[in-house]
Amino acid sequence: MNKLLLGLASSLALATATFAQDAPEEITIGYLNLVNAQLVTKNLGLVAKHMPGVEINYIKVGGGGDMLRAIAADQIDFGGLGNPPTAIGVARGLPITGTMVLNMLDFVEAMVVRTDAEIKSFSDLEGKTIAAPFGSTTHYLLLQALADEGMDPAEMKILDLRPNDIAVAWSRGDIDAAWFWEPNLDKTVKDGGNIFMTSGIMEKRGYPTWDVGVVMNEFAETYPDYVEKFIAAECEGIDYWIDNPKETAAIIAEELELSLEDATRMMRGTEMVPCERQLTAQYIGTTEARGGFVDTLIATSDFLTSQDRLPASPSRETFEVFLEPSWLETVVANR
Amino acid sequence: MKDWIARTSLALKERLLARSTVLSALTVVSMFAAWEYVTATGLANELFLPAPGAVWDAFVKAVERGYQGNTLQVHVGISLLRILTAFVAAVLVGVPLGIIMGLSKDARALLNPIIEFYRPLPPLGLYTLLVMWLGIGEESKFALLFLAGLPGIIITTTQAIWNIDPIYARASQALGANFWNLIWHVYLPAAGPTILAGMRISLGFIYTVLVAAEIVAATAGIGWMIWDAAKFLLSDVVIMGLIVLGLTGVALDLVMRQIGRWLMPWQSRSKT
Repeated sequence: MNKLLLGLASSLALATATFAQDAPEEITIGYLNLVNAQLVTKNLGLVAKHMPGVEINYIKVGGGGDMLRAIAADQIDFGGLGNPPTAIGVARGLPITGTMVLNMLDFVEAMVVRTDAEIKSFSDLEGKTIAAPFGSTTHYLLLQALADEGMDPAEMKILDLRPNDIAVAWSRGDIDAAWFWEPNLDKTVKDGGNIFMTSGIMEKRGYPTWDVGVVMNEFAETYPDYVEKFIAAECEGIDYWIDNPKETAAIIAEELELSLEDATRMMRGTEMVPCERQLTAQYIGTTEARGGFVDTLIATSDFLTSQDRLPASPSRETFEVFLEPSWLETVVANR
Repeated sequence: MKDWIARTSLALKERLLARSTVLSALTVVSMFAAWEYVTATGLANELFLPAPGAVWDAFVKAVERGYQGNTLQVHVGISLLRILTAFVAAVLVGVPLGIIMGLSKDARALLNPIIEFYRPLPPLGLYTLLVMWLGIGEESKFALLFLAGLPGIIITTTQAIWNIDPIYARASQALGANFWNLIWHVYLPAAGPTILAGMRISLGFIYTVLVAAEIVAATAGIGWMIWDAAKFLLSDVVIMGLIVLGLTGVALDLVMRQIGRWLMPWQSRSKT
């Protein structure tokens, strides 16, 4: 309700005067329930350090589908999205802009199969029950992998479950395989499962998946310098992750209530990209020339369109406008 | 003279009825007009409120080509099957339980704590537990819908039986009626209209939890379709699904009222 009133008030403010405001009273950050440097930034209070006097709210979001809903309902200022939900959001005209690379997904997202289900190749999946959170990176990779193997998804039962529900369904023996992510992935591996395919292997096959930081356009127009402050804080978190692996593992273990050993392994499954490198051609690119993320978004939205999940693929220009390197460039230049 | 009064009152009533029909139609038409207006003029964001035409297109597409593997008819059919199975089970369990609780204070005391405790629980909270117990298949969906429908029937039946003047029961007993005669010829006819009202309320409750029940691991059903479409921001499908869901609910309610009129003609006659 408060959020709604705030939203109303700020849109009124926008309507009457479009000049940038000094400082927001509070910001809301929606972070994905997965293993990346946002947990470090959150745990060390880096965003608060860069924004003194601003109230920082963190909301944990289960997956890309839920994040899209939170964005559509204007419940967050900053969020994170994998490439498939990003393609969906941009294609459907959500008022968001991509700001930075949160993480590249390696074996932190993987397909687990029940060991006694004897699944050795994709063709063994025929007639099996497989779960994935629909609309997320792993649902996209599952369908993409099946398409590459020439298999029809109708030959198996593909269920839409959230990561938490997958863990519950797995422990009851309701599903044979699932493509999802840590920290819940580990529970299934320890409970009679083994890893059959990882998102890292799919990246080598030409299907990279990643999460990109997004900001609501209205927020970015009103408080452009706070977008930079947010990015600076996340960059600091990423550097901390790279420079202090031991301390980071302790933070991840604390945030996700894991053992230190598990946290260390999960960390290795996520690749952090230093902010300087994010401006290269492989990632976001620069204001003059956007990088490979645009190509990934186009490939993703073309695939989703072929799956009847999107009415039409947006143009390259739409994705180039969505990905805005200027804030990141300022942050990197000032470091 | 008496005849004339009866005839005029009947005609007046018909006109009233016609008037209410006109008014209802007016509401529907003006809602559509407002919808068309705000979308045509661009007042509403297309992402949240697509034009009526777009929703109609989504409907036609879902009927002809289907939504994610099943046609709309199949989605509606599966959901109706889930709803009706749960509803019939809730009636079969709820009415006898309600009669027992209406007749016996002890039974009421024994069962009330359970019913009063779980009745206000939010369905999604209850569902988490049901999924853990019963799995992600049809069993947990059935259980959630059944539990949603049960209390309404039990409570109204209990109340209806409780409200029957004991003098009827004593009179029939004096004439030699046994327990089953009492149930069939005194309690059920007297409590029938209230029980029917309870059944209609209970069907409404089952409808309200349908989407919740189809969120987890369904691959078909109108509630699932709405939920899935929301994930991909297909608001035309979401609105189309909601309208279809609402219309089937209205249709089912009409059917129930018709069955009530047919089973309990004394109810409508006593009012004319």
